[in-house]
Amino acid sequence: MKKWTALALAACGFVLPALAGIDLVTLPERDSVQLTIYNSADLTLVREVRKLTLRKGLNKLSFGWANTLIDPTSLRLRAVDKPDAVKLLDVAYPPRINSQAVWNVQSEVEGEVLVEITFFTSGISWRAFYMATLSQDEKDMLLEGYVRVTNNSGEDYANAQTRMIVGVVNLIDEIADLARRKEPYGRPYPEVVMAAPMALRMSRAPNAMALAGAMDYAEEASPKEIVKEGLSEYFLYTIPGTETIPNQWSKRLPSFKPVRVPVVNLFRYDEERYGSTTMRLLFFKNDEKHHLGETPLPDGFFKVYRTADQQDHLSYEGATPIKYIPVEQEAELNLGAARGVKVEPKLMKIQTDQYLFNGTNGNISGYDQAEDWTLELNNYRDIPVRVEVFRRLRHPYVDEIKPKGELASFEKQDAQRVKFVVELSPNTEREITYRVVYHEGDRRERR
Amino acid sequence: MKKLAVIFLGLLAALPAGARIKLVALPDRDTTMIRLDNPAATVVEEERVLTLQKGLNQVDFSWKGVTIDQDSIRLAVLSPADKVQLLNVSYPPGEGALVWQLSCAEACNAKVRISYLLSGIDRLVTYTGTAEKDESKLDLESFLVLRNFSGEDFIDAQVRLDYGEPFSMSAKHEETRQRLFLSKTGLPIVKTFKWDAREKPWDPSRLDENVGIPVYYAIANTEAKGLGENALWDGKVRVFQKDGHGSTIFVGEDNPGFVPVGEDLEIRVGEGRDVVVTQRQKVNRQINIKRNSSNDIILYDNEELIETEVENFKDQPAVLVLTQYIPGEWTMREASLDYELKDHETLEFRVELKPKDKITLKMDFVRSNIRTRDLR
Repeated sequence: MKKWTALALAACGFVLPALAGIDLVTLPERDSVQLTIYNSADLTLVREVRKLTLRKGLNKLSFGWANTLIDPTSLRLRAVDKPDAVKLLDVAYPPRINSQAVWNVQSEVEGEVLVEITFFTSGISWRAFYMATLSQDEKDMLLEGYVRVTNNSGEDYANAQTRMIVGVVNLIDEIADLARRKEPYGRPYPEVVMAAPMALRMSRAPNAMALAGAMDYAEEASPKEIVKEGLSEYFLYTIPGTETIPNQWSKRLPSFKPVRVPVVNLFRYDEERYGSTTMRLLFFKNDEKHHLGETPLPDGFFKVYRTADQQDHLSYEGATPIKYIPVEQEAELNLGAARGVKVEPKLMKIQTDQYLFNGTNGNISGYDQAEDWTLELNNYRDIPVRVEVFRRLRHPYVDEIKPKGELASFEKQDAQRVKFVVELSPNTEREITYRVVYHEGDRRERR
Repeated sequence: MKKLAVIFLGLLAALPAGARIKLVALPDRDTTMIRLDNPAATVVEEERVLTLQKGLNQVDFSWKGVTIDQDSIRLAVLSPADKVQLLNVSYPPGEGALVWQLSCAEACNAKVRISYLLSGIDRLVTYTGTAEKDESKLDLESFLVLRNFSGEDFIDAQVRLDYGEPFSMSAKHEETRQRLFLSKTGLPIVKTFKWDAREKPWDPSRLDENVGIPVYYAIANTEAKGLGENALWDGKVRVFQKDGHGSTIFVGEDNPGFVPVGEDLEIRVGEGRDVVVTQRQKVNRQINIKRNSSNDIILYDNEELIETEVENFKDQPAVLVLTQYIPGEWTMREASLDYELKDHETLEFRVELKPKDKITLKMDFVRSNIRTRDLR
């Protein structure tokens, strides 16, 4: 059932005191409709094309949208094929009539004119999600990406060209709030925001169109592959052809063909971020080398499984949200607390020396404190792993740190943070030791 | 339904309190002008012809169901200005009304203009920008939105802004009307990313959520760049971008303030996530420490090294404005890029990034004379 397609044409010369007594002509269905759905905000740009029969002179077009979630301030009308002959004079939102606009259109031509009507609606959303299946040796994963479009707008969309936007738009007002305003632009004095119309909260039984839409998809010979392109700071995902998304229905579509992506199994110990728990992470890069890299990966939820045996049974490894990953950037999947890898830092020795004393009162004014630390690393798993250990220094007044043990790398990240990277073979343990010499008090000045 | 009435009371007569006699209703107003140049108040001016007799005349101006600032009501005699004189104005008790006493040298038809501030009617301005696919240029349309909740119906009123010709518009009580009043095409866009060290996290890799960098379009309100005829009123700007397939996408909206001629209309459209800024403090050390007799530090300098790594993951070049802050007294030992000092503590670096570029900015500086306690 259409709710905002109450588009009607009144003959020229009408004055619309309260839209009473007007001979309204119901127009044909929209010829085409395009949905551009955003995921960073509750916002969809709807663009529909209709064929209107205009008279020469002034035409009044009435457009109603009761019980929907459209933003009346976004409504626009444009003649597609005869822009010079068909001019929009102004838009009136008649008094004391909710959810209605009247376009005053001056036409130099008589007959059929193709017009484009655009507006924002809330209630349609999309999100990305991923499924990854790690190989048994965990060196790569089969990555599948999906998008899921959900329509809770109060309107059925049949045969709509469906596009999705990846990116963050700046919004001043929530579209849902604008849709609920009694007057389209509010009043000159503060207004009260109306509660959502009850009709929008009511669930509706799947209708014939919904079932037809679902069947359309089932009858596809092969899954559609989304076409992606960059525009400004956004990525535009276009589903080829059209989709039917009835109100209250969702539709899931693959966003790219499954790809096998090499991954780095990484375990991280960082007390500042995770406390004393070692976390398990998977790393891959959104680049060609990893069989990706054509477009950014939109933020979404990642579910990770592992092939558990030769019969391809699955073991669930964990789930995590991922951030938006630009092309060429590394992606980090945090699968939670690690079970098979343990990191334990231990302070093994404290030694102080180089004491300084205050010349006047004899109190201690400075000293050096050396701390010997051992990092105990255990890999209980039967595959090799990489471990990152971050350590925070109490303050930046330290001597250069020279760790001992078999390290892949060591880096002083900033004035107070160091990073150790260790590669561990299956079922091995290793110790890394390091000494930190802190300069306290006046010793900070006398080095 | 008229809520405003002008009634000619005729020759002066003694008017007992509470028994004002309203004699003759005058013809409707000739023209009504709604002036919307001030967002804080709307001036309504109406012109009428009064048939005045020689001597003293009283004209009653009353209103119901509307809110008029009584002190704002003015009467101007347009013609014959030299023969008609406004003597005084009285306000009857308990009414929305006033009475003008006019003195007329001879009987005449006097054209007068009545003006007043009317509540509940105002205007908004909204803008729609449509950028080219390559973001080089933008078409800008501006719409006037007249919101009439004044209690009065206006039919064919002349609406005047602070520039341009007046135009005719009707707006009934509780009606809102929208009309295009500015349309410019091909305005050049200057696009910049803006990262502010006090607003944005320094190390986005340590956060679980994305850190976007605000993206701005700047449109110069100058004649040379295709605008510059008038100031641009404040109002919501919605920006779309052509997608190369005959359609557009919405790229964001902003609420910029009033833009005088010569200034830039700056629109924050959204956030870019393909330009990543990671900033780390590599050195942070107290030097030149001075102590008091209790051995407490009372004065010191602080040497600092800040490294800012900027990566452009995009296939297009990008311009990034980095705003850094160094509070107090300071001396820059070395900065790897030129900067503009915006004030004593604010430094602005303009970084031109090529596609897939990576640039590291280093700031090696000393903050001097940091006092740990005030004078005693």
